[in-house]
Parts: sequence; structure tokens; C-alpha cells
Amino acid sequence: MPPFTLHMPDSLDEALALAGKLQNGGLEFDWVAGGTDLLPNYKWHLNHKPNVISLANVEELTTLTASHIGAMVRLNDLVESEDTHSLVQEAAGSIASILIRRSGTVGGNICLDTRCFWFNQGEEWRESIDWCLKCDCGTGADCRVIPNQNTLCVATYQADLAPALMCLGATIHLASPGGKREMLLADFFQEDGITRNLLEAGEMVTHITLPEEATSLEGAYQKLRLRESWDFPEAGVAAAWRVAGGKLLDLRVATTGLESIPKLHREEADSAREDWAGQSSVNGLSEIIRKAVKPVNNTFFPPSYRRKMVRILAKRALSKLQDISAAN
Amino acid sequence: MADKKKDMVGYTQQPGKLPFARPGSGGKDTFSRLQDKELIPESQGGERKQQWGPHKHDELVSSTAIGKRTPLIDGRWKVTGQAQYGDDVRMNGELIGKILRSPHHHALVKSVDTSKAEALAGVVAVATGIDATRKFGVLPVTKDEHAMAVEKVRHVGDLVACVAAEDEATAMHALQLIEVEYEILDSIHDIKQGLEDSESPIHDRGKYHIGESNIQKRVFQEFGDVAGIDNNAVANSKSKWKFGGVNHGFTEPHAVAANWDPSGRLTLYTPQQVPHYLHRALADVLEIPMHQINVYRTFVGGGFGGKSDPFPHEMCAAILARKSGRPVRITFDREEVFWVNRGRHPSLIEMNLHADDEGRLCGIETDALIDGGAFASFGHVTTYYNGVLHTAPYEIGAFHYTGARVWTNKPASGAMRGHGAVNSRCAVEVGVDEIAEKLEVDPITFRLANLLPPHSATITGFRVTSIGMRECLERVRAACNWENRFRKLPLGHGIGIGCGFFISGSGLPIHWDPNKFPHATVHLKIDMDGGVTVHTGAAEIGQGSDTVVAQSVAEVLGLPLDMIRIRSKESDTSPVDLGSYSSRVTFMNANAAITAAMKIRDELLTATAEITGANKKHLVIGDRRIFDKLNPAVGVSYLEALHKAQEERGALIASGAYRTPPMGRMHKGAAAGLAPAYSFSAYAAEVKVDPETGQTRVLKVWAAHDCGKALNPLAVEGQIIGSCHMGMGQVLSEEMKYGRSGHLMNPNLLDYKIPTVHEMPEVVPIIVESNDPEGPFGAKEAGEGPLLPILPAVCNAVYDAIGVRVNELPITPDRIEKRIATLCKELGIDDPLDLPSPRLTHSDLQSTLETRAEEHAERDLARRLNEAREEYHNGALFGLDPTIAGDEQDSRWEVAVLPTDDYMASPRLAGSAWKHTERRHRGDGN
Repeated sequence: MPPFTLHMPDSLDEALALAGKLQNGGLEFDWVAGGTDLLPNYKWHLNHKPNVISLANVEELTTLTASHIGAMVRLNDLVESEDTHSLVQEAAGSIASILIRRSGTVGGNICLDTRCFWFNQGEEWRESIDWCLKCDCGTGADCRVIPNQNTLCVATYQADLAPALMCLGATIHLASPGGKREMLLADFFQEDGITRNLLEAGEMVTHITLPEEATSLEGAYQKLRLRESWDFPEAGVAAAWRVAGGKLLDLRVATTGLESIPKLHREEADSAREDWAGQSSVNGLSEIIRKAVKPVNNTFFPPSYRRKMVRILAKRALSKLQDISAAN
Repeated sequence: MADKKKDMVGYTQQPGKLPFARPGSGGKDTFSRLQDKELIPESQGGERKQQWGPHKHDELVSSTAIGKRTPLIDGRWKVTGQAQYGDDVRMNGELIGKILRSPHHHALVKSVDTSKAEALAGVVAVATGIDATRKFGVLPVTKDEHAMAVEKVRHVGDLVACVAAEDEATAMHALQLIEVEYEILDSIHDIKQGLEDSESPIHDRGKYHIGESNIQKRVFQEFGDVAGIDNNAVANSKSKWKFGGVNHGFTEPHAVAANWDPSGRLTLYTPQQVPHYLHRALADVLEIPMHQINVYRTFVGGGFGGKSDPFPHEMCAAILARKSGRPVRITFDREEVFWVNRGRHPSLIEMNLHADDEGRLCGIETDALIDGGAFASFGHVTTYYNGVLHTAPYEIGAFHYTGARVWTNKPASGAMRGHGAVNSRCAVEVGVDEIAEKLEVDPITFRLANLLPPHSATITGFRVTSIGMRECLERVRAACNWENRFRKLPLGHGIGIGCGFFISGSGLPIHWDPNKFPHATVHLKIDMDGGVTVHTGAAEIGQGSDTVVAQSVAEVLGLPLDMIRIRSKESDTSPVDLGSYSSRVTFMNANAAITAAMKIRDELLTATAEITGANKKHLVIGDRRIFDKLNPAVGVSYLEALHKAQEERGALIASGAYRTPPMGRMHKGAAAGLAPAYSFSAYAAEVKVDPETGQTRVLKVWAAHDCGKALNPLAVEGQIIGSCHMGMGQVLSEEMKYGRSGHLMNPNLLDYKIPTVHEMPEVVPIIVESNDPEGPFGAKEAGEGPLLPILPAVCNAVYDAIGVRVNELPITPDRIEKRIATLCKELGIDDPLDLPSPRLTHSDLQSTLETRAEEHAERDLARRLNEAREEYHNGALFGLDPTIAGDEQDSRWEVAVLPTDDYMASPRLAGSAWKHTERRHRGDGN
């Protein structure tokens, strides 16, 4: 583990002030929440910083209600809370292992660093491939997954919470020394395995809020992985819907584990909902979702298989809608 | 008064003083326990049934320890955190060693400049290849490793230099300051490419080099009527298998500490399975005599074959300690564990099985090309084992084997639990399943009708003694409700069977010894306190070798286990034991321990006879009491007998040794696979396969293993369950994956996918005891053999579930899904959920086989119980005279160990290794 200075602020204000101070001093830093993602990466000397600000003592980030989920809420608490939406509960309960969920946090899971088997390796290993785009160690190295396209990192986003929260219309709240802002979680992510999202330097996630209507949505989450525990999702499909009187009133589908960001498939879901006709629509939409994602070869399973499985996962996530018809 | 005086023989004081108190029986309990008649064999008047006859050790049974479920005696050390593993060793003034490794697959090392590293404050010593230029390797015939690169590096992660510094950070910093100039060479990653000539072969074996290729070892063997296979066969199973390489995945990474003490002696602390061969290699590489080295085996956090080579990092620690004059400690991270590897070989195996119209296996033709990675390691043996270890348990009409091991620029493969037998066994058992299907017979019946009888010789001339194969199959069949489930379960749900056969100790030691050194030696020392100190070199690696030797001694001497203390860690005090490999320890070391204990026992009986005047022949040992079996009231306590025996000489000491009997035939390679006994096993696995995703889940395993006699049933069950887990990893998910650039892509335990507790099915262990005549109390191995059957059992269950024949491991969901898709296409089915589930209607052959199986069951029982049985050689089932080896009575059964020109006209894959000429035959003077 490379050496770093650990800062332990006791409040959000203190944390932000500290961040501002470090920034002004031109010092790079990382936030650390549960540490289950950041510290293994540090151990491998992956983009480590000389300063780390821990949010472990910031009480106000641990608020958990049905509509407000603090960034420092432990994943396991989210799973065990009665207030948690069943879809979020299902997705959170599938993350890693119970040991990791006891440490890992909601904010950390949403901001999980992207993964790639050319990147998540020890330093000597990466030296032996002459480094890569995501951690080039000053060499300007090329991407090893898709060489000769030295602009975009294609490392894969392999976290489970985001697609579930996106389907429920979640809003993400950010804070930085410069102020606070919020946006739909679906708009938070931005295609690139290195920058990943709209967080700016020194900015952090404070909490997630769910709209009122989320309580009226049902949902399901399906995840592909080799082992039932610990493994990151090789593909994940979340679906949420509102049904009344056998009619489909609302439908959202989001995917994860397939590209460098999770995706909410708004248009696909909306247009399928309009002429929803039970099983055939389940099959049809599943096929459309499959076509809408483009995994690359940088995780355990080959991309062709992951893509194929998107259809199966979507079909299973939507299976409760097989006897439902369109609203109009 | 006179009577009392007589009672106290040996314990009277000087006249006028009070007598000594009479010693108790020894041990914590005041009173001796009665013998447990259920553990005493029938042959000794006890109640333990001996369906397979008496055993030579029956008279030693005291019902104290053997056959009892015994927690391992070092278990508390481990669970309380007091066990010192490799990385727990701490010494005053120690330095931290770190290793600089190659970033290239294959390169000449032009120069290594260590001056900047040496100048760094806190760096005490730096070493490179020139500090130890002698080659070493676990097998004396294939020494091809150096402590650090001497002229070139052969894989990414190969050792180049090492540093000892005051702390880890300084050592790591120093590594970055070492400047190495490489000249990169072409590297080889494809196993097939290893067969071809190369401009710069990875190794140069001088006179013995095979062409200009990277072939490290090749084998050609033909036994039986190979030429007749095509005529005789009515059903064939031909498959081309691809096996990924797997790593042992033990918990404890390699760690070593070396201390060159003030007396000028080296002590090397290391979690080694085979301390003795390391001892030899250290002496050789460091160029010091063996007696100057003490190899100290720490607790071993899992070995499975992965800690059985002498390793370069062990040399590095010793070299750095010598250079720095201070203790040096090196601990690996997981990536380094993968780089040193020695796991199971990635393999391409072509397996052709043939059956004739009577449902006999008239031929097995195997071609195995195995990927050795950068070094030879145990590969010479592995190459043989891939063939010869599937010549049983079935009686076969012909056996053709071509095997080759090639060097590639990958971390070296080596020995791993089930060494060399696992992959080809999987292919054989899946082939048998397919053959049975083609013959439309039940695969268990087919097996039962084709088993070699006990006390027979295989087609390659291995002497097989006890065989519990039939009982394994029968008990598994009953336990899993086979009759009502096989080929009768719905789509996606299946059950399958697989068998195993493995050596119980290798017949020959690795270092060929004309002086007939024993394989195992045990020393016992007992002083007046009554406790027994056992000195043994057998390496306790978690398998329970300390416990089994303690149990053996305790049983013979009638002592509770807490009176036995094992000293097995240091070569300074332990007699030589060849090590914990090839499942040899229980068989050999317990036999040596029994021999030693019998000597002590005899002395105790003599002393008892002297004290009591009883006839020594009638004396028996119970719990800390020696008594006349005809008149149990006559006897003395253990301590009384011991003290009598100690008169005028002090502590009793005894030595016992074990050496294998002469065995086997004379052809080239005849020694490979020889063992004093063999274990057998049969497993049934129940699986669910998701037809849409291809994901396989093992629901339950019924695992019958013939270990001869379970000395410790708890440990045997642990081995069976652990083997299921490890084998399941290889069949379901574990694989060392190499990327397009030749790099190992998953050298960590997140991406190298060992099954978790979620994947682990319920395992029902079934212990079969075939009472091996030469095994200690009848015991054979239980550490490796139990791994073999789980792979084919799962593969065959997958077929039963979904109709897909597996020929590539691991069966990750993507691979199974692909095959399901192909099957759907072939059958014109759109949705895999509409696939038909495999079904079976028996042909007429079924009843023929059932009859034969019944006849053979009677034959087997008769052979077991008849000490004066005639010889039985493989071939009798095919009409040959059973008392003569096939090749000695039928010219068609001639043995061949070199390919003919005919064969070379169209050799199989590994067989093509014989295209090359060995240099010595060219007379080119090298």
C-alpha cells in the first residue's frame, strides 16, 4: 500500500473545508467511504493520491429513510432496513458478499470505479503490458482492450445499485467546496471509463432521494455472475413498473455491467409500454435491450455471452409483466 | 508384608525409608479404560467384522485411537492463532526480502546493474543470478531452474534479482533502482507451438534436446491388442478435450525466512511439503554440505502440490541471508503465487474409448499434450501419469498412449492434488458414459461388469492389491437412488457417475537410490514420564499426517493421544521422510511408525512378562495397561512395564522404516505409476443446468472412497469433502486465463474463481474399507484420489440434465450456453427450454452385463479371502490365461515403447513429438 495522509473530518462542512484547503494547496486527494473499492485499488498502485479524506465520522451522511438515502449508509443497512424499496433491496442484497456489504456504502457503490482486466492488476503486471490508458503512469499508454482509439476508456461499470435507483427516478445530490447541486441519477453518468460521471474535482455525493411515485413502482433486478457471492455483475438488468387493473401504466429498464456507465433505456421502455402485449412484449423488449448495449472484452465472461444474457436477464426481470397489457 | 514387597518390584527404597508411591498408569485418567470390543477385530476375539479377512496388524489393535473420529492434533494451534506459518516467523534483526521479476515473456538478460539499489540507504544486500549459478529442480533428471535468471528469463514473473532491506518500502524502492537490459526473444504461448522447432528454445538440454523443439518429455506406450481395436469395437467414444490450467489456490501464500546463524549453519523456515528435496537442492545450489542446513518446516497453510518443489525464492532468502549476515524474510503476494504456480497443466487430451459386442472395453487410446510452462518441475512424471493412471480400475483389451509435455513461456505447471491423473481420468469417465449410452446400457452396470479383480495386475503391469471399486459403485448407486433418477429427471436436472483410481504412494523415490534408503523413517523416544516423542520428517500440511502417526503409535502402545508428541518440523531432528506428495504419507509413514512402535511394544511385553511371570505370548496391550489375555487380572500398568524396561539404560528408543516392495515390469517407463497400493472411488453428482444461461449448479454429491481403512474417519471425510470442493472448482469455474498477449489475466482470487460456500453442495461421504494387506491397519490414501471422480460425475450429470457432452473445462456458463445453442440448432429447436431430456431404454446387452457383474462380484470376494489365490493379469476378460501377462502369451499383446514408422505416418497430436530426433542420436557431438 502506498503511503498517504488520512484525514478524518467529523462533519460535512469540515470535510468540504478540508477538501477546499487541499485543492487550494494543489494537493490531490480521494474521498474514501467504506474503502472496499478504493483501498484494493490503492494496494495495486492504481491512481493513488497522497491524501485521503475519510467520511467515516460524518454522521449526517448516514440518514436513511424511504426517500432519502445518505451516501455513507452501509449497503447492509440498506438491505436490512424496512424502509428500503424492494427493488433497491434486491439489488443491494446481491452486491459482493455480506462482509463487503457491511463495509461498503451507497455512495461508494454508485461511484464505483470502472473495472477492466487490463487495469485491475498489480503494478508489476501492468508494467509487463506497458500500462494502459486508465492508469498510464505518465507514459501516455494506449487502451489495451481496443487499441488505437486513444480517447475513450472502455473499462466497465460493474455496480448494482445504480440501475435500480435509476428505474425509480432517483436524484443524486452532490456537494463540493464550491456549493451543492443535484441531478437525476440517470443523468449523472457520462460515457468514459476514466471520468465515469459528472463529479468534479473535490466534489462528493451526499445522498440520494427518491420521488414520491417510487413507492408505487414494483421492480425486479437480474444479475449475471459466475459465483453467487463476491463477483461483480457481468451484466445486470433492473426493471420497474406500475400496473393497475392488469394494465401497464409505467415501465423503466436500466442495465449495468455492460459498458463504462449504467444506462436507463427510457425510449425503449416507453415505446414498448405503449403497445404492451404480455409475453411477446417481454420477449421483444428484451431483444431490444440486448441490441442497445455493447459490452467489450474486459471482464470475466466474453462480451458475446454477456450480450446474449442481457436478453435472458431482461426477460426474467420483466417476467411479472407477461400477462399484462397496454394501458390504452 | 512379603506379598507387598513383591508387589513393589523396582520401587522399593533404601532400607528404613518409605517406599515410593506406585506409579499410576500414565496419562490424565486415573483408571485404564476397558477395551472397546467393537474396534477389536474378529481375528483377535473382538467384535469388529472383517468381511474381507484378517490383517497383519490385527494383533496390534488396542482400540485406543485407530478408527476413531479424531480432531487433528494441531487443530487447536491453528484455531487459536498460535500456529506459526511461513510469514509468522520473526527473528531479531531480520531484513525484508523482495524479488525483482521479469516484465517479459522470454528475453536474454544482457546486464543487471544493481549499483543504485545497493547505494540506497537501508538496503543491506542485493543478489542476482551470478550469486548462484547451479541449476536445480525437484526431479534430478530435469534440473532446469536457477535461483535467479542466469542468462535469460522465461516467463513474466520469472526471477531476476532480489534485495534485502531494513523494511518493505525500502526493498520495493530498491527494486525500482535495479537496471536490467533485456533482449526480447520470441515467446511461445500456444501449447501446440511447443511441438515445433524454434529458433530459440526456452531451454537447451544439450545432448538430450529433442530436435530444436520445446518438447520437455515424450512418452509412447502400447499394451494389449491395439491393432485389433478397430475390428473388435462396436461402439466408440472419441473426444478432444481442452483443460484449462488450474492453481492450487491454497490460503497461505509462499513465505520463507532464512537465518545464517553464528555457528555458520543455515536454518531455512518455509512452509514446505517436501522438506527433504529442498534440503538437497539448497546444499547443491548454495554449495555447502547438507549437514550445515536445517530445513524447518513451519505450519503449512495448504499445499496441494503447490509447495512441493524446491523454489527459487527459498534460494533467494538463503543467498540474501548469507550476503547480509542477517535473517531475511520473503513473503509473496497472491500474484507471485500465481507466477510460481506449479498448478495443474493446461492440457489437450484426445480420448478414444472402444467397446466390443460383449460390452468390454477393448481399447483406450489416449493422446495427451500438456503445457508445462517455463520449467520442468514434476513434468516428467506428469507426462506418464496422464496415461498410465487410467489403466485401472477397468480391465481393458488394449492401451495406447502418447504423451508430450512442452515448455512454454508461462508460469510453470507442476504437481497438484491428483497429479497427472485428473484430466485424463475425467476424459475416460465421460467416455465410458458415452460408450454406455451408445451400447444402451446403464453406465454403472457397465462399470461393474468391467472391473479388475482384487490382487491383479493392470495391462501396464502395476500390481494392484485391495480394490474396493465395486463396493464404492454399489453403495453410491443405492445412496443416490440411481435407478429411479438416472435418465429420468426433467430437463435441466441431471445425475451422473464418475470413478477414480489413484496411487497410494509412489513406488520409487524421486531420487533414485541404489542404496535402498527407506521412503519413511520414524524414531520413537520414551522416557520415564511415559510420554512418547515421535520424530518424523513427514510434512504436516493440514492433511493430518502428525495426527495419523500419533494415532498409529498410540494404538500399538495403548496410549491416549495426549501422551504422544510429534516432532516433525526440523531436518536436524527428524529422520528423512520423502515428503507429502503422491499420497504416500499415511501408507508409508504410519507403516514406519508401526514398525518402530512394535519394537517398543515388544520391550514392554518382555518387561511385563518379567514382572508378572506371565507368558509373553499371551500378553496384550490395553489402555495404559499390559495384561494376560487369558487372565486379565494378571498385568501391570504401562508405567510399571516402562520403568522395568528402562532399567540400566534409561529412555527407550526405537526406529522403524518403510520401503516399498519390489514391483512392476521392465519396459521403459514401467516405474511411473507404480505404488504399493491404489485407492478407488465412485461419486454421483446431482446438478441443475439452466438451459437459457448455461449455469451449472451442483446440488448434491454422494462420494464413496475406498481408503482401505479409515484410521481417522473424520479426516477421511474432510479429505473427501475438500476434494469435492477443489475438483468442483476445476470443473465449474477455475482456470488460469491467458490473454491475447500471453499474459495471465487473473492472478488474483477475485478473478480466479474458486467456488464459495454458496456453490458448495451437500456432500455425503461414504467410506469404503477394503483392508489393504500392506497398508497400516489396512489403510490407503485418501488425500488425492477423492478429487478425481467429481469432475466426470459433474460432466456426466450435465449431459443427463441437458444432453450436452462436455469436452472443455471449466464448464463456465458461456461455454455450456454455446453448446446448448449448437444442440438447439442441430435439433431445429428455437427455445432451449424445449430441448428433449436424455432418456435411456436398455438394450439386450444390459442383462448380459448384469449377469457378468454378479459373477465378477463372486470372483472378487473369493480372491479377497483366498490367500493362496492365483495371479490375475489384465486380459483374462478377453480370453487370455489370467496367470500370465498378456504379452507373454499372445504376440498381439506385445509391449511397445517406441512408435513404429507406420504410426509416424500419421501421428496424433502429442504423438507428433516423436517426429524430432534426440540430439544424442544424431552424433552431433553436443
